[in-house]
Amino acid sequence: MDDMALMKFSRLRARKPARRIAAACALAFLAALGLRAQAATPAEAFVSENIQRGFQILNNRQLTPDQRTTQFNGFLEHLTDIDRVARFTLGAARRGASPEDISAFNAAFKDYAEAIYQSRLSQYSGQTLRVTGSNEHAPGDFIVSTTMVDPNAKSNQQPLQIDFRVLNDNGHMVVIDVAIAGVWLAIEERDQFSAFLSQHGASIPALVAHLKQLTQQLKHGGGRGGSH
Amino acid sequence: MRVLRVLTGALCLFLCACASAPGGAAADPGDPYEATNRQIFAFDQWLDRTFLARTARTYNAIVPEFGREGIHNLLANLDLPVTFANDVLQGEPSRAAQTLARFTVNATLGLGGLMDPATHQFDIPDHSEDFGQTLGVWGLGGDPYLVLPVLGPSSPRDVAGKLGDVAADPLTWIAYKQKIWWLGGRQYLKILDARARNMEAVSDLERSSVDIYAATRSLYRQYRASEIRNGRAGGEDLPEF
Repeated sequence: MDDMALMKFSRLRARKPARRIAAACALAFLAALGLRAQAATPAEAFVSENIQRGFQILNNRQLTPDQRTTQFNGFLEHLTDIDRVARFTLGAARRGASPEDISAFNAAFKDYAEAIYQSRLSQYSGQTLRVTGSNEHAPGDFIVSTTMVDPNAKSNQQPLQIDFRVLNDNGHMVVIDVAIAGVWLAIEERDQFSAFLSQHGASIPALVAHLKQLTQQLKHGGGRGGSH
Repeated sequence: MRVLRVLTGALCLFLCACASAPGGAAADPGDPYEATNRQIFAFDQWLDRTFLARTARTYNAIVPEFGREGIHNLLANLDLPVTFANDVLQGEPSRAAQTLARFTVNATLGLGGLMDPATHQFDIPDHSEDFGQTLGVWGLGGDPYLVLPVLGPSSPRDVAGKLGDVAADPLTWIAYKQKIWWLGGRQYLKILDARARNMEAVSDLERSSVDIYAATRSLYRQYRASEIRNGRAGGEDLPEF
């Protein structure tokens, strides 16, 4: 800043405090906008990009239902670490289980998860998700919050909050769990599997057989809940 | 007062029955009465299949959407004095102010609560609070898990919370004719409204669950914990994968 400019600035400071305050506010506002623009963390950006990719598949009217399902399953396989999720949902039962049982469970769980997604794909009707923020729950373990924008929502329905738990696995981001209105789905599945195993003599083959049966029912549009 | 006494008596009897009959191997340490809970859950499911789900389907078919929305709005508005009291008890002045504003706007411009201009014209967000959540905010845990006949998933904290909500509700203390029927009708309409609004979600859960009892227990616990955190993500104790 040269001397003339400095003098002009000093006079401005002396004579126009209101303008100075306004200028400062404008600068602060612009700085805040800039910060906000830079604020998308890698985890937020990862979720945001994948939301767009997912909705591109769902909204692509050139795809047949089968093509859409195949593409969406491929997309989910890339997005999540299904083996890690399967291991988690088996809970304490995986300790002491034979490698054959674990392998059979992982395969059955993958089919079951895909069947659930497929049955829900048919209910998709134009909803989108908007990333609203994130926090680092533990080092490399993020929770990215989104809000569902639903064009068919009832007039007095609150927007649904959907959170993604994202793990940075040696530089490779994967989604390991999803929470709908605060309910984490993998935790809910683990709770179900633990309850089933405690009711069926801790038999993993019985759980695998039940998962396969449920998967078939889901694929054929029928089925009703399991044991109670 | 008579309503409160009857409710308290019935709940005490039920809790005593649970306490004296913890039979069966409980896999979940937070659900020591699992065997009894499963029996009551089966009864609730039977009641739902034979009565509530059918009534809710008929309600959805007969009452037009604007009528159902109006009833939902009215029921939600009647709950706001209790929500306000719990906002205050939880030390949440901004949420308490929102609740007060919602109640005032909807009770006047919203034709006694039938419409919801607070959301649509004034952009005042809705939220739910109850005394069970307040007890949770004050540090009371949610175990043991209980399943109540007709009312479904609960816990001693939430049973106490329900009684607190009844006690805090101005409609409990105002004298009017046929009061017990009005109060009973309101509770029934709340259950019917909730069931009718969630037909698809319930049927989805039934269709895809490996163990519907355990699925409902997990949903209830996680959802209540989320409500106590006011929906803030990341505050919970998440397990390692």
